[in-house]
Amino acid sequence: MIINFKGAKTYLGTGGKSLDINKRTLCFLHGSGQNHLSFIQQARFFAYKGYSVIVPDMPAHGFSDGNPCKSIKENAEWINDLLVKLNLKDMVVIGHSQGCLVALELNRILKNSLKALIFVAGSNEIPVNQFLLDLSKENPQKASQMMVTWGHGIDGDMSINKWPGHSHYGEGNNIMCMNKPTALKYDLHSCNDYSDGIDAAKNIKVPALAVLAKNDQMTPLKSGLKFVELIKNCETHILNCGHFLPSERPIELNSIINSFLSKLK
Amino acid sequence: MSENYKFDTLSLHAGHIPDKETGSRAVPIYQTTSYVFNSTEEAASLYNMEVGGHLYTRISNPTVAALEQRLAALEGGASALACSSGMAAMHLVVSAICSSGDHIVASSKMYGANINLLQHTMPRFGVNTDFVNPNDPDAINRAIKPNTKLVFGEVIGNPGLDIMDVPVIAKICNSKNIPLVLDATFNTPYLMQPFKHGANIIVHSLTKWLGGHGIAIGGAIVNGGNFDWGDKDKFPTISGPHFALGGISFWEEFGPSALIAKIRAEGMYNFGPSLSPTNAFHLMQGIETLPLRMKKHIENTHSILNYLVNHEMVEWVKHPDLETHPDHEVAKRILPKGSGSIVAFGIKGGREAGKVFIESVQLASHLANVGDAKTLLIHPGSTTHSHLSSEAMKEGGLTDDMIRLSVGLEDINDITKDFERGFKAVKKLNK
Ligand SMILES: Cc1ncc(COP(=O)(O)O)c(C=O)c1O
Repeated sequence: MIINFKGAKTYLGTGGKSLDINKRTLCFLHGSGQNHLSFIQQARFFAYKGYSVIVPDMPAHGFSDGNPCKSIKENAEWINDLLVKLNLKDMVVIGHSQGCLVALELNRILKNSLKALIFVAGSNEIPVNQFLLDLSKENPQKASQMMVTWGHGIDGDMSINKWPGHSHYGEGNNIMCMNKPTALKYDLHSCNDYSDGIDAAKNIKVPALAVLAKNDQMTPLKSGLKFVELIKNCETHILNCGHFLPSERPIELNSIINSFLSKLK
Repeated sequence: MSENYKFDTLSLHAGHIPDKETGSRAVPIYQTTSYVFNSTEEAASLYNMEVGGHLYTRISNPTVAALEQRLAALEGGASALACSSGMAAMHLVVSAICSSGDHIVASSKMYGANINLLQHTMPRFGVNTDFVNPNDPDAINRAIKPNTKLVFGEVIGNPGLDIMDVPVIAKICNSKNIPLVLDATFNTPYLMQPFKHGANIIVHSLTKWLGGHGIAIGGAIVNGGNFDWGDKDKFPTISGPHFALGGISFWEEFGPSALIAKIRAEGMYNFGPSLSPTNAFHLMQGIETLPLRMKKHIENTHSILNYLVNHEMVEWVKHPDLETHPDHEVAKRILPKGSGSIVAFGIKGGREAGKVFIESVQLASHLANVGDAKTLLIHPGSTTHSHLSSEAMKEGGLTDDMIRLSVGLEDINDITKDFERGFKAVKKLNK
């Protein structure tokens, strides 16, 4: 659905069902240079399971207009304001990649009032190399292409896909191309500059789930495993795929999330 | 990991990794109509397009999907859908994008069935087409109307071998937010990848060079994922609520793959032109050697061109790689590896000579197909167009002395020797 938020056209994916604020809401936060389409196979799945789902396109991403947020904190504040505007209360937040950093900050703003936090291919820090930072400014399309290639495991290289006929690379590149050209640069700088992750992770008091990728070249598994150590009682799973876990292993990811959600109060 | 494999490698591997249970190196033929659901929940999630998977072979099948994913990789597209024939692919695209009252701009020099579908069949359903010269981008631009929903043509036209200036035409379409749909059968992704030149949707007859062995009919649609379907007034059945799946907006839910998702949910569901898994396997076997075959097709074509151009019994030779071809410069620019292995030539002695030539050759096969590994010939004047006068043929851009040749992979000396036999018989006739 499209709403006017902070004076800009803002798109919220709802998984093909309408938003119902009386239900438990799953809020999916996309990663750097991505948009709601990173969660194609999660949004519909959980909406049809009876949850209320929102997958916001962050400003300047996907179908949303507006200026890109310039730090992880700004992203978290934007999301927080959105949740207030929508009057959403019973919330589980699911972040992918940069979305995990935003979820960490959002949890601080909300003072652990979320029902749970789910981290997909995440960490408490996402340093970005200078080459990619520079490229995202000079040639965001090329930078996107490189991220799509690095971001997938062997399924990307081999055009293997659970979704019949779909190509991770072709689809991934075009999803990133839908964003405004400046979006990626600000996303990658936001990730690189974020340094409060350790405190934010230690501060988590709500149930937490982490699903990490064995062949993650964007937020390496090693970093992800250190991250989950910082969180009290974080249920952790490792799937055999690359960073774009939501599209590479949708069935496994959905099933892990589903059983985690079913255990929540 | 992150190898970014090259074309030759993808031709062999894309779409399949051996599974753990059987280790089958070849893509298995999943000769089944349907798939056992593990639970009612799983069944529902497949029907609702919540996640990918297979529920019924009319919609998708693992062997067919491997072929689709190989094609998507070779073309650099977001997604692909394979179907029962090239014509099925063409009809699926047109019917997915257009509704009654819509308009198409198409090339006037195309394969007969492509023309017939747009000229005679679609108008019965309220979709009208204006045909324009494919090598005149200005004419294409002028023909676009407010209700135009797609521009269609063949990269290399059949049988006239006109070349579309794809980057120039793509720019025009892009500026008017109209998808450029191209039949890329004659070039295959080996000779040219239309998405790199700005096209949006590719239609293939896999029956031809991609399959390459003349053993299976098949077609495919490859979706570039590079078109914005967001204009709800212009593309209401792709971006607006669709009757399938409770008012789904394919564009919002599937973004770059919206068109393929729609074709699966509507075209494959309701028209059902599915490809058999066994044919998908045969076609994939062909694709494994596509780069090798295309190299040899082009090599043999260039040799044959040289032979025909210098032959006393040949009136004229048409191929875009010849400097005499009107689209030679465009061909050089967008098809640098060569512009395919179809050659048209005029035989001295007109209609009767064509008939004798065709009946005298032994190695080349006289039949109505192109793109086989074997050399194929047809003489429209004595077969497909035998009912037409020379004048009527001329109006359709054909002449009664014309022979269409699909150059195969045989030893080039055997092909020319065979042609000599044909020319000798014609000479006797002319005496
Ligand atoms: C350029 C072109 N497009 C489409 C087709 C139709 O393909 P099929 O026979 O697979 O339906 C043909 C067949 O000759 C063709 O030459």
